[in-house]
Amino acid sequence: MPQHWFWWALTGACVIWYSTITVYVAIKGAKDIKNMLARLDAQSLNEKEVEES
Amino acid sequence: MTNFNWLLDGSIVGLYLLVTMVAGLMVRKYVGKVEHFLVAGREMDVYLGIASLAATEFGIVTCMYTAQNGYEKGFAGATPGILMALAMAGVGLTGFVIKPLRDSGVITIPELLDKRFGPRVRWAAGVVIVLGGLLNMGVFLRTGGQFLVLVAGLDVRYLEIMMTALLVGVSVYTILGGMLSVLVTDFLQFVVMSLGLILVTILILMNVGWEKLVTTVETSYGPGGFNPFVNPTMGWQYVLFNLMLNTAAVLTWQTIIARVLAAKDAKTGRKVYTRTSFFFVCRFLIPGIWGIAALATLGPVANTLEAMPRFLSTVVPAGLMGILIAAMLAADMSTDSSYMLTWCSVIYNDILAPFRKKPWSERKGLFWNRTIIALIGVFLLLYGLWYPLKGDLWTYLGVTGTIYLASISVLLIACCYWRRANSWGAVASIIVSAVIPVSYLVMEQLPSTAAQAKSIGPYYSGIATYLLSAAAMVIGSLLKPQGSSREGVA
Repeated sequence: MPQHWFWWALTGACVIWYSTITVYVAIKGAKDIKNMLARLDAQSLNEKEVEES
Repeated sequence: MTNFNWLLDGSIVGLYLLVTMVAGLMVRKYVGKVEHFLVAGREMDVYLGIASLAATEFGIVTCMYTAQNGYEKGFAGATPGILMALAMAGVGLTGFVIKPLRDSGVITIPELLDKRFGPRVRWAAGVVIVLGGLLNMGVFLRTGGQFLVLVAGLDVRYLEIMMTALLVGVSVYTILGGMLSVLVTDFLQFVVMSLGLILVTILILMNVGWEKLVTTVETSYGPGGFNPFVNPTMGWQYVLFNLMLNTAAVLTWQTIIARVLAAKDAKTGRKVYTRTSFFFVCRFLIPGIWGIAALATLGPVANTLEAMPRFLSTVVPAGLMGILIAAMLAADMSTDSSYMLTWCSVIYNDILAPFRKKPWSERKGLFWNRTIIALIGVFLLLYGLWYPLKGDLWTYLGVTGTIYLASISVLLIACCYWRRANSWGAVASIIVSAVIPVSYLVMEQLPSTAAQAKSIGPYYSGIATYLLSAAAMVIGSLLKPQGSSREGVA
């Protein structure tokens, strides 16, 4: 076990966690954007229909 | 001498800027209402929230002060990050404050305070939030420009031009697309920023080595470089001040809270908090290691804030240099855009509210929001150019942030959970928490009182602000005759 194991473990955890979460969020976040824009599009269509009727 | 290669690294940076601007501008067509502009129609989901929160809360300024902390305090300099991660995980798991806040359906914190304490407190809270927020953000541009000029090896004379260009670029997509542009660009910026941070950290750990980092900290700071309680520049007062500051920030910092308010529901907001919490350890430790590596390589330097970028300019090779600068631009742009939008939302929603006799049309509301963002940009440019920063950056940010964090956190907790809280207590709390940090900043700047300010120190002044602000809320509320306060929101 290296000296100052707490900081050694925390540094390792940061590098591993951050690398993993970046890939995961990159994939899932892109889906979130797609869904968010689709919902906003649908909302705006509904509002237009209500205005017209 | 820097390793920045204009052809290779310049192309990477140019490509990043082009993609970001296009993405930011493309979503402007979805902005039809003020609610879309300020809270993205409350359609934000968990992973977009994580990306946006992480990107917003990590700017070049963050990288600079956390690296400065690492350079000046060793590993112990990462203590605020650990405290913030604990606070954020705790709030996310319990839903403390953020659940009632999101459930209330407000756009800003002062709007919620209005329901309990009345419109005057809402207005005063809005002023305090904007004052603290803008003073805090005022140093972002200069610090960002400083980093870019040093790393890319540009002439210091170009700093102002770089600051202006950076701000104009960010303002354009924020003004046109509001929160929607901010969320989409934040996502891209999170990916680019994270890639740069991880690659440079791995490079440093491989080149400098863990043993050398530890030995440098041991030689320079002894046990205090690893333990904040025995560090002569930190101690219990530093830890306590940072615990209060970071807990208050997690509960009330409007740019963080904006992600909860833009979330689909309270459950999504809580998940964003819990799952982003560990990022705040990385936010302090990763640049902290860069700062320690700068100390190990460069030795003592006159300006500790500039040590890390000077070090990076010589060790990061061409190619990776482009990714690093793109990452830092991404970090800065996401922070600037979110901050401008957030303070705009408070000015529009809370400070201008009393001047709107009748509700404004969506078109007029959007026009005013866009104008306010442009004016904030002008203010930042002027303030960023003339304010001379004294002391360390993290302390300046802590002191200016405390102007509003202390009172608004007290008001928000009391608003959600204490039935006796009322407008007298709220006003007393706002006054106390604004007067102490502003007096401290003024004392620090005046030659006649600078020595006194130094002897008090920012940590005792900060702790006193939080405690006295809470005491003012209790005393003020108890002094007001009962039966005149409004209903609670919890």
